[in-house]
Parts: sequence; C-alpha cells; structure tokens
Amino acid sequence: MAAQRRLWTRRQLLVRAAVSGAAVSGVSALGGCSTRTPSSATGSTPTKLRIASPDNPVTWPIPGDNPPIEDGLAPERGATLRLYNYADYLAPAVMKAFEELYDVDISLSTFNNADEALAKVRSATIPFDVYFPSYDQIGKLVSAGLLQPLNHSYIPHISDAWPVFTDPWYDGEWRYTVPYAIYTTGIGWRADLVDVDVGGYENPYDVFWDDRYAGDLAVIDDFHTAMGMVLLRNGITDLNTADPDQLEIVRADLLDLTEQTRPKVTITMYNDLPGGQYGLTQMWSGDAVNAQYYLGGGARKEDLRFWFPEDGKGMVDNDLMVVLNSARNPVLAHLFLDYVLEAKNSIANFSWTGYQPPQRSIDPERLVGQGYVPPNLRSAVVREEYFTSGYRLLELPPEVDTAWHQVWQEFKAGA
Amino acid sequence: MPDTSSGQRVRLLWPLLAAPGMVWMALLFVTPLYVVLAIVFGQIDPVFRSPLPAWLPWEWDFTQFNFVIDHVFGADGYFGPALVRTAVYVVVASSMCVLIAYPVAYYTARCAGRYKALILTLLIAPFWISYMMRMLAWVNLLQDDGLATRAISALTLFPSGFGQLNGQASTVVLGLVYGYVPYMILPLFAGLDRIPAATLEAARDLGASRLEAFRRVTLPLSRPAIVAGVLLTCLPMLGDYFTNDLLSGSPRTTTAGNLINNSATTAGQTGQAGAFVLIVLLVALVPMLLFVRTTRDPSAVRS
Repeated sequence: MAAQRRLWTRRQLLVRAAVSGAAVSGVSALGGCSTRTPSSATGSTPTKLRIASPDNPVTWPIPGDNPPIEDGLAPERGATLRLYNYADYLAPAVMKAFEELYDVDISLSTFNNADEALAKVRSATIPFDVYFPSYDQIGKLVSAGLLQPLNHSYIPHISDAWPVFTDPWYDGEWRYTVPYAIYTTGIGWRADLVDVDVGGYENPYDVFWDDRYAGDLAVIDDFHTAMGMVLLRNGITDLNTADPDQLEIVRADLLDLTEQTRPKVTITMYNDLPGGQYGLTQMWSGDAVNAQYYLGGGARKEDLRFWFPEDGKGMVDNDLMVVLNSARNPVLAHLFLDYVLEAKNSIANFSWTGYQPPQRSIDPERLVGQGYVPPNLRSAVVREEYFTSGYRLLELPPEVDTAWHQVWQEFKAGA
Repeated sequence: MPDTSSGQRVRLLWPLLAAPGMVWMALLFVTPLYVVLAIVFGQIDPVFRSPLPAWLPWEWDFTQFNFVIDHVFGADGYFGPALVRTAVYVVVASSMCVLIAYPVAYYTARCAGRYKALILTLLIAPFWISYMMRMLAWVNLLQDDGLATRAISALTLFPSGFGQLNGQASTVVLGLVYGYVPYMILPLFAGLDRIPAATLEAARDLGASRLEAFRRVTLPLSRPAIVAGVLLTCLPMLGDYFTNDLLSGSPRTTTAGNLINNSATTAGQTGQAGAFVLIVLLVALVPMLLFVRTTRDPSAVRS
C-alpha cells in the first residue's frame, strides 16, 4: 500500500483532497470543498465521492489554477475540433454545417459505454475538446480536474434550453455543463411481431419475465438502467440504493429473468427492434423515436410501440456537453456547445438522432403533429414535468458501485 | 578446416536472420503478458475504479485473482458455468469443423485434379469478407422476419422459428463452425497434400483395403495437420466474444471471451479480466504442448 501511494499522480492527489473534504463533512453540505487534506500515511484512504442529487444539489468549485477562458477570444483557425460521443448520437449534417461556418474540421470519436469513455478521457491520450457525458459522471470529472469551467459569454443560446438547465442540481450555475438530450427509459415493442399490451399489465415490467416472449426480448446493457428497472418492478423507487437486501432482490430477479426469457443484453435497440432481431425490449425513448429510421425488411413505422408510465413515474435522464481540460481549441469548443444549443440546430440534430433536446421552442404536445414523432410513439415524447415526477440514476459511491456491478456481473456471466 | 568454418557460418546465418523476428515476437508477447500480470495483481483506484498496476512482483496483491478463483468453484461460483460452457462450445464446434473440413480437404488434395487451384481459391474466398460482416449476415438471415427463419418456419423443422438470435447455444455453435471452418480446411489440405501417393499405393499393394489404407496410413499421417487445424480453430474460439454477442448476446450463452470483455470494459473489474486471460492462457497451454509433442513424433516426419 505504501508503495502504491508513492505512485499517485498530482491529479489523483487533487481528487483525494477534494473528495476527503466531502467525506469529512458527511454528505454534500459544503459549498466549495477545495480543502486540501494531505492523506495520512495510514490506510484511511478517502473513498467518498461527492455526489449530487436533486435533494443535494451541488455547485462545483472553480479552482484558481483552472479558470474559464477569457471573454471575446477569436475562434482557433484551421483547427480540428475533436468530439467524443456515443455512436449515432450526433447528426452529421449539424457537424458539417459547423465545419463550414467556422472553416474548421471536426473529428468525431465514439465510445460504447461510459466506463470506457471515462478511462480514455482520463488518460488524455487524445486531446478531445468536447465530451458528451451523463450527469452521473460529473463528480468524478470535476474532482479530477478534467473539465474546463465554461465562459458563459460564448454560449448565449443557453436561453433556448429549458431554464432549469441554467441551474441544475448536478451543476449549480451551469459552471461546467450544458444540456444535450433528454430521455426516458420504458418498453418498446413491435405490434406486428409480438401480441402484447404492455400498458395492460398490472405491473408492466413483468412483461420481461413473461415466458410467452422468451427468446424474443432484450434489456439495456447498462448495469444501472437494467437493475433500476428491476427495482421499479419491485416497487422500490430509490434507484441508487445501497441496501444489500434490495440488491439481493434485484439479483434473484435477474437470474430468474435469464431462466425465464433469456433476454439479449445490448444497447443497439434502435437498430435491432426495427430490424426484427427481437420483438420486445427495454428501451430509451430516443431509441424508440430513432427506430423509424432503421426499419428493415417488412417492418413498418406504424408497428413500433413505446410504453412509459403515464404518471411519469419512471426513469428520466439527460446527457450533457462539456469542454474538456485537454481541449486544444477551447474557444471553438464553446462555440460548438452554443451552436448545438441553438434552436434550429438542436431540432435538426433531434430529427436525426431521435433524442429530444430540452428546447423551449419544442412543444411536446406538438411533436407528433409536426411529424417528428409518429403518433404510435406518442409516449416516447419527454415532458418537462417528468423531471419532477421521474426517478434519476445518480452517481454511486465507489463501494455501492462495486456491489451493484457484482450483481450485474453475476447476471451477465449466465450462471 | 575452411569447410567447417564456412559450414559454421551458414549454420549461424539462419538463426541470425530469424533473430529480429523472434525478438520482436517475444517482446510483443512477454511485455503485454507482464502488463496483464501487473494489473491482475495490482490495486484499484478507490474513486475511479481504474486499475493501478503493481509493476514490482513483491508488491503483488492476490485479492482480484482470488476473487475470480473463488467465484469459479463452489456455491458462489457464478463464473464456473460460463467456463464449462466455453469448453463445451469449443469442443463441439471444433469437432464439427474437423468432420466438415476433412472430406473437403481430402477431396481437394486427392481427387480435385486440375480444379485443385480453383477449389483452393474458393476455399480462401471467405477471408476476403470480414468475419464481422459474415456474422452480421447471419443476424439478417436469422432475425424474426429473416430469410432463414422464414424458411425454417415454412419447413416446420422447429415448432417456432422465432428467437434464434437470443440465447440459443445451437446458433452460437453454428456461428463458430461457420466462422472458423476455413481455418481448419487449409492446414488439413496442406497436410493431406503432402502425403506421398506412393505410401498409399504401397499399402494397397500389400493388401490393405481402401478403408484400411485410410485408417492405417492417411489418418495417422494427417494427424499433425488435424492437431494444427484444431489449434488454429480452438485458440481463437476460446477468446471469441463477438460471434456470441452478435448471434446471442444473452447471459445464457456467456463464454470465457464474454467474461473477459465484460470485465475489461467495467470500471473496477479490469484485474478480473486479466485473471480470466490467465485462466484461458493456462488452459490453452495444454493443447499447445500436445501439438509440440505431436510434431516431435518421428512417425509424423516420415513423409
């Protein structure tokens, strides 16, 4: 252990310093916790990460050695703006228009899951400018000094987004983040392949355990999203629980799931469901909307269905855009954030990815009428009130995260 | 005297020419393996859950390795079934590969005549299309409204053609066979082609029937080729995960390759992925040693 400590980099020390401040204070009551507590020589390694939640909003500090960029700088010329995002999650036309507007090149790299992305961002081997994380990484990203605080003067179009995102609970005063897409997690199916009325079930999540659909369904390959669904099935609404008994319920249900219906575990629902690989799946609302662009063979857009609880008591999330500390083109990065937030670009992007942006100019009631969302997918439209009624997947403290991952690992090992 | 020294020079020439390649290969094997060891026996960052490798062997910590071993056997052994499953899939798929490939290779080597070159070219043809594409083609054929599914349903070979792509061991094994059978045909062809016709003629002259000549001459002489083919197919199958991901993706068919891939892409489990790599490596060593023994067998080099 002692030798291990010697290998710590400055960055890790900073994380620990920031983190130990939170550990000492209990939870996240501290406003600016930049107290540097040198780690003692004993084994009291701080392992508490400061975690934001709707009940414990956090305004992240801006350290003196990591200031935002100056006002009024000219954009970098002839530069290559490096973006890091999920695959198929940003419209090529939007990127192309930005390239032409500022006469720059955009290089897009993609990742498959958040762990992979975080590891690469931390290694800083590629100087990405803009990264598209989920809010459940924000604590790690900020405390490791991986993000640049934003200079708001470059991002006037934040006014196009829902006002709540200028002071979200996970990033007070939007010091580091702007919103990207919003989505719910529900159940999607193809009416022509499976004869099911998900909303008609007393507990709609039971459909995944219904052996009539064995071998013809899928769940999302994300430990938190899938296990959260199992918790909801059992009426447990704390989707970030640290209670071992509740995790045991999830474990038993997941093993039973494999036994009953042998689901596929994947994240490519937007492609697989319209392609006919299976007829029923746990699904993000954005993927449900996006599925209409991936119809194969005999599939028709009218056959796509999506269920999300009408009272909005389901999983609701949003993704973000941030400027990384490794950015070689911080000014362009700011301008890109602004460009994507601007109503017309944001809607152009939505019409390609299927993921709804939190735009003021979008009236959820009218999305169907305007043809962005087919009438049969009406319930895939994300409403602002879902953000008060719905349940959030938060960043988990490391030891809780380990416990969750072990359950997920056992499920995926197929014992 | 001058003769011996020139002979010495020639004897030194080839090892010298081989040296750069050998050193390169050794470096590219030993270095990554050491990195794997350092990660398996290292620590985990308490906040980011990323691996902190322990480069010095006296600092090695066996916690992660023991976790994996503890969960292979016993009541809590949830990795065990996946490893057993891997062994079953690989053995079944390899055996099917031999059964399919042997007649093809035999025909090409012995009976194809002037079409030999053409047939060989066609046998290599699958390599022109990426493995991934060939598997994706199966996804298209086997999906619920795919061609193969509809054909199967029409012929009512199975009660229902649906769900071929979710958690069916048979689909995964067939995918493996389809994907790897060319790797079996080529070494078998090379081996069978090398057997001099004279040995067979001699066997027939001495009164062996066709079957006996095959059993007592061809088969033993082609044994190194079979072992080479089995190795060439088994080793990649042991670590294969995307055939399974594409054609099943269900925990019901998880194999060692999936265990490695899943842990390697999960924060906090990188060391466990390394432990699985070591397990697969150790298991793969057994057929490797068998191969070395077979090639040393004097009966194999008689031709």
